[in-house]
Amino acid sequence: MKHSYFLNRLLLFSSLIFLFAFSSVAQTIKGKVDDYKTGEPLAGATVHLTQQGVNKTAPVNLNGAYAFKNVHSGSYQIQVNYIGYKSSQVYEGNINSTDEIKIINIDLQDASTQVAEVKITGQGNNKETDRAARGIEKNAVMIENILSANTIQLLPDVTVANALQRVSGVSILRSPSGEGRYAIIRGMEQRYNSTLVNGIKIPSPDPAYRFVPMDIFPSEMLERLEIIKALTPNMEGDAIGGVMNLVMKSAPNHFVLSANISGGFSSLFSKGRLFNAFDPSSARQSPATIHGNSYGATYADFNNKALTSDQSLNNPLSSTAGLTIGDRFLNNKLGVIVSASYQNIYRGSNSKRLIPNAQPDYQPLPNSPQFSDSFDRTYSTQTQRLGIHNKIDYAIDDKNKISLYNLYIHQNEFESRLSSDTLGLGLNSTNFSKQITLSNRSTLTQQTIYNSTLHGEHFLGDEWKLTWDGVYSRATRNMPDRTEFSYDANKAINSTGVVTNEYDNNTALTHHWENNKDQDISGYANLIYTPKIAGKPVEFSTGGLFRHKIRDAYYMEYTLKGGSTLYNNNFNSIPFTMSLPIDGTGNSNPGLSNNYHITENDNAEYLQARFDLLPKLQVLGGVRIENTNLSYLTQSPITVSARSGKYIYTDVLPSIHLKYALTDNQNIRASYFASISRPGFGEQVPYQIDGEYYKEIGNQNLKHITADNYDVRYEFFPGGADQLLLGSFYKKIYNPIEYYVVRGSGPSDLFIQPQNAPGNATNYGFEALATKFFGIIGFSANYTYTHSRVTTPKLLYAPTGANGQPMNSIINETRPLQGQANNVGNASVLFKSANLGLDMQLAFVYTGERLAQVSAYANLDFYQHAYNQLDFSFEKTLTKHLSFYGKINNLTNAAAKIYLKYPHDKIKSQLQEFLGKQDIAAQTLVQSDYYKTLFLGGFRYKF
Amino acid sequence: MKKYIIPIISLILFASVSGCQKWKGEHTEIYSYTPPAANPVSDKAPLSCGGGSTVSAVKGTMLSGKTYTVQAGCDLVINPLDTLLMQPGVTLNMGAGSSLIVLGTLVSNGSKNQPNWITIPGITKNDAPGGLAPTADPAYAGKWKGIIGGPTCNLMVLRWTHVEYAGLTEGDATSKLADAGSGNQYSILFANYKGSFIMEDSWLYGGVDDPIRISAGKVAIFRSTFEKNGAIGGDCLNAKGGTVGTMAYNLFMGTATNGQKASNKGQAIGAPQTNLVMYNNTFVSGGYRQQQSGRGGCINYEEGAAGMYYNNVAINCRFGYRVVGNPVADVAHLSYGNNYQWADSLSVANQFYPTGYITQPQSTDIPSITTSAKYLPTNYQLGSIYDGSDVVQKNNPAFLNFPLPTSGHALSQYSAVGNFNFHLQPSSPLIGKGNTGIKPLITVPLDKIYGLSDPTPPGADLGCYQLNGTGNQH
Repeated sequence: MKHSYFLNRLLLFSSLIFLFAFSSVAQTIKGKVDDYKTGEPLAGATVHLTQQGVNKTAPVNLNGAYAFKNVHSGSYQIQVNYIGYKSSQVYEGNINSTDEIKIINIDLQDASTQVAEVKITGQGNNKETDRAARGIEKNAVMIENILSANTIQLLPDVTVANALQRVSGVSILRSPSGEGRYAIIRGMEQRYNSTLVNGIKIPSPDPAYRFVPMDIFPSEMLERLEIIKALTPNMEGDAIGGVMNLVMKSAPNHFVLSANISGGFSSLFSKGRLFNAFDPSSARQSPATIHGNSYGATYADFNNKALTSDQSLNNPLSSTAGLTIGDRFLNNKLGVIVSASYQNIYRGSNSKRLIPNAQPDYQPLPNSPQFSDSFDRTYSTQTQRLGIHNKIDYAIDDKNKISLYNLYIHQNEFESRLSSDTLGLGLNSTNFSKQITLSNRSTLTQQTIYNSTLHGEHFLGDEWKLTWDGVYSRATRNMPDRTEFSYDANKAINSTGVVTNEYDNNTALTHHWENNKDQDISGYANLIYTPKIAGKPVEFSTGGLFRHKIRDAYYMEYTLKGGSTLYNNNFNSIPFTMSLPIDGTGNSNPGLSNNYHITENDNAEYLQARFDLLPKLQVLGGVRIENTNLSYLTQSPITVSARSGKYIYTDVLPSIHLKYALTDNQNIRASYFASISRPGFGEQVPYQIDGEYYKEIGNQNLKHITADNYDVRYEFFPGGADQLLLGSFYKKIYNPIEYYVVRGSGPSDLFIQPQNAPGNATNYGFEALATKFFGIIGFSANYTYTHSRVTTPKLLYAPTGANGQPMNSIINETRPLQGQANNVGNASVLFKSANLGLDMQLAFVYTGERLAQVSAYANLDFYQHAYNQLDFSFEKTLTKHLSFYGKINNLTNAAAKIYLKYPHDKIKSQLQEFLGKQDIAAQTLVQSDYYKTLFLGGFRYKF
Repeated sequence: MKKYIIPIISLILFASVSGCQKWKGEHTEIYSYTPPAANPVSDKAPLSCGGGSTVSAVKGTMLSGKTYTVQAGCDLVINPLDTLLMQPGVTLNMGAGSSLIVLGTLVSNGSKNQPNWITIPGITKNDAPGGLAPTADPAYAGKWKGIIGGPTCNLMVLRWTHVEYAGLTEGDATSKLADAGSGNQYSILFANYKGSFIMEDSWLYGGVDDPIRISAGKVAIFRSTFEKNGAIGGDCLNAKGGTVGTMAYNLFMGTATNGQKASNKGQAIGAPQTNLVMYNNTFVSGGYRQQQSGRGGCINYEEGAAGMYYNNVAINCRFGYRVVGNPVADVAHLSYGNNYQWADSLSVANQFYPTGYITQPQSTDIPSITTSAKYLPTNYQLGSIYDGSDVVQKNNPAFLNFPLPTSGHALSQYSAVGNFNFHLQPSSPLIGKGNTGIKPLITVPLDKIYGLSDPTPPGADLGCYQLNGTGNQH
């Protein structure tokens, strides 16, 4: 299965390389029409050819190319016209039969650039095109991949997270409802990657980690998405996999107005599988927050609206809307853009999962799989996203300019989870009795990111430049009053399998508050000196940053029990009480260590130089020093060890980047950089929270991760949006942090805990990316092979004691890093016809098998099976300003499936009834999530 | 000159890189709590804590005849390497919400004439069947947290000692001091597979979850009486992976779930397999406060546990002796026989060999497995449904004072000994049916004070009382 995909990919890839050769036509005049400044191909321009008084015209296609075939011998004149541009000069010449092909490339000048040419970089809509993106990739000092706004607009994706999976070397992790959430870059999971907005690090609303959930960003707000895979000294050094830089739309050259609106639905919610909607609880704060930690809350303090307001919706309608307005004033000195995006999406999934027992069996084989629970869950998720951003740039004069950027993003996620948990498989649930815990959980999660950046650039004479940024950012996440109701259905079953008796008891009601806030105040400054030394320009730069971060986390949970009262489908008749009155106070919250305050002061300084060592060899090198000073304080009592802690560390991060220009459109690059990855905030605090399937605990002894990274890459930019990239990388990672399933102090306790893997990890691989347009049809494919290895101790439960006594012992096991897939690829077919006004894209994503969850026991790791997704999108121009577009996600209803590498027919007979439908003989399917197909269609207006 | 510029720049860069390396450093400060040193034990003032700490450290000797008091909310801590010895006749009154955390050694050396008490003062017991609903009974209320043995506790001895009214949730602070679980509601926890837990001739009254949880350890639990154990669940003596020893001559009245349970779950690295020998125990009305279906009511072996159980008596327990097929007990190293069961009703008799599990009927079992064609037919398969109507109310054990079949109360209401007397009349069919060929598994030190004083061998009469006066002395 895996092999055939691999071969297909190679075949497609090699055929694309082959197709880069140009074909030739006899007696032809052809060439390209580009923007004079940006090099962007000017598709839609008209080329006029005059020969002996006869006029011919030819359109410029997507590549920027035009051609006149069967041209007569003799003199000719050529001129290009395009709206918004000055007409080109008239090119005159002679063509005769020996010429066969005459190539005439023409640059047009933007009409607006004639006036008041102020030196402004980073302006203009033209940066949103593929061609501009290729130019940035080509000229970049480091290794990166870019998705342009035009590419993103046509993608089937409405969030940045889903768009990320289209980038070479990137795969994504999904939320329970199937929405992409985190990016894995080159096999390095989310902790190894950082997120920037316009080059500025933003704090995360995540409750425990530094990485930012990428589904919170509507993709239409982006000018381009950069994935930077090699760090230069002037960049923050805390990324090992890569950096995702979200470059937001900046003010245009002229008045711009665009708007879009769409509607859609998920095919999951039909045919009896209804969407479960609820109104959130009105209790924003916990009783302990309102009345103080000594207050003893009772049932009367709680509001169960999130459960009692449940209602089923049949095929709820999703909708999105976007609006962008921008213009330039004061003789083009002042640019303003405001853009807003709103999304209201209904998604969901059906999930089945087997939970491994805290200990496997030692017979018939050592570490024979044993399961404790069989979960059946349905998720209904409504996500409302609102993003607003605004950029104002002002050129004081041609040497000084400042800009102010504001970003506000807010997301409400209403998630309803209905679970059925058959527990104690073989122990409490047998063929004659079943114990099933049924639960209904309603969660509202509100996340907000706000960022405000004041940026200045000053040219201090010809050779000196100063840039600075003052940043205030704040990320919050609030989960007010997550409410869950559960009860046990106890069923007695007779010998023919009929339920003869059922009683429902053990009712429990949980109210849960979880808030966190992360606030940054940072300053950046860079001084750039570009003298000419030995006649060659050399760029020295130095600078640094200071960041003061405050993070607070609040966690409070109340559990009420219904006692011995049986549950008869009447929630209101249950006499819920605290088991013990003291359980209602904040002081007795067992998770006091989850309430913590963190202060982090980071500063970093760098020195870098860039020069041409040889005429075609550019060198960029230098060093960065990162100083980290983090301290935490939890609310745990003073008798609790690790209730507070402080970490101070300094890292010295050298790097060097070489770029050799083989030709004008081919580069070879090589780079080395050292980088770090800091542990998540929650990870170092000894917290304990209930995760989706496991309890998660912190580890105050975590060390930060460091890495040495090596890259080489070959690049070919034949023109237009076409490109060919071939790269390879090698990473050595020290103190990698992996999540382990560990056993707690109790025999049934299973926790997930982050730990530094003993020994180092290695990760290497290669990437290939090719894009080629043939007139209106384009093909794009990328493929990444990754190989990572880490060796860690695992438990082996085997009859190794006297008389075959079972004993637990330690053995070493080598495995890939979590989340890393050996094979990751994308392929898409694009159709872009300016004549028909129709753009279409069929996009395929392949993520090979990857390690989903590490077990404490050898050979019992969970692997996610290879995942394929096929998406389709199109946009049709209806009038000059109006177009209709559609996006269809997951055409083939691909499922996310997780397997244990153990033949399912070897699982013990008593467990077979809980396994469900199996499909791979050599493995056991332990989790499957189905999302079904998502449809979205709407209109876009552009002025 | 000019041609040297580039190499010089490179050299400066290199020098700055290597020069910076010496700034590289790392410094970590993790807060670490050290408990205060203990003072001589005083009975003048309550053993108290304060200043933001719940810890009251204690070591030394509590003297005969004296009463000591622990302040409400305090954790009385015996530090590692410290010992607390309670002489005979000591009363330790625990404050509300307090705990006794044993990181070192605890010896409560009561005697038949001068038993010790670890209790909450001033509570009136009502042990009449049906006298109090469980929700109103202080036995199940968890007045204090319990005796929590940490992983460094090497010896805990409870001899002729009453432990009462424990089982309050440990909570964050207490559980972290004891390195236990914050949600634990055990009256007694022992969690060191290298250490010894000895309970002789003692009483455990009340409890919330598992009244005694042995996470791992060498154990000897002899001749003790257990009443009102577990509020809505919990196995009375719940032994997990790495527990080795003997449980014998114990009397269990109205346990929420099982009386004695053995599992090898959570066996630590280096810890032995759970191997428990259980003999001559008596279980009355077990399993009725467990709210979940399918759980046990007297003895239970599961998940890799080895051992044996002989000469036991189960009266009206919700489920009979249970051997679990998945996760399977170590059936190759598990033997059993000579076990007696009584059923007032058909529903009890139908679970003598609990359906869904793999208890193998033995020819020495009472009632006889060949009683009738309906009871365990010839083609009986382990764990299948059978008709127990022919063994209802058969082989009356003739207790001194516990009329069978019961009348006037639901089986679940027989939860304390009170005025009942489970000694045997000379006419009892339990006399002389015991297997005396088996041997106790003694893993703990034998010592009159700092060990097990009397490893009573298996008795000829089934159950915990022997006609010759040996066995349970209560």
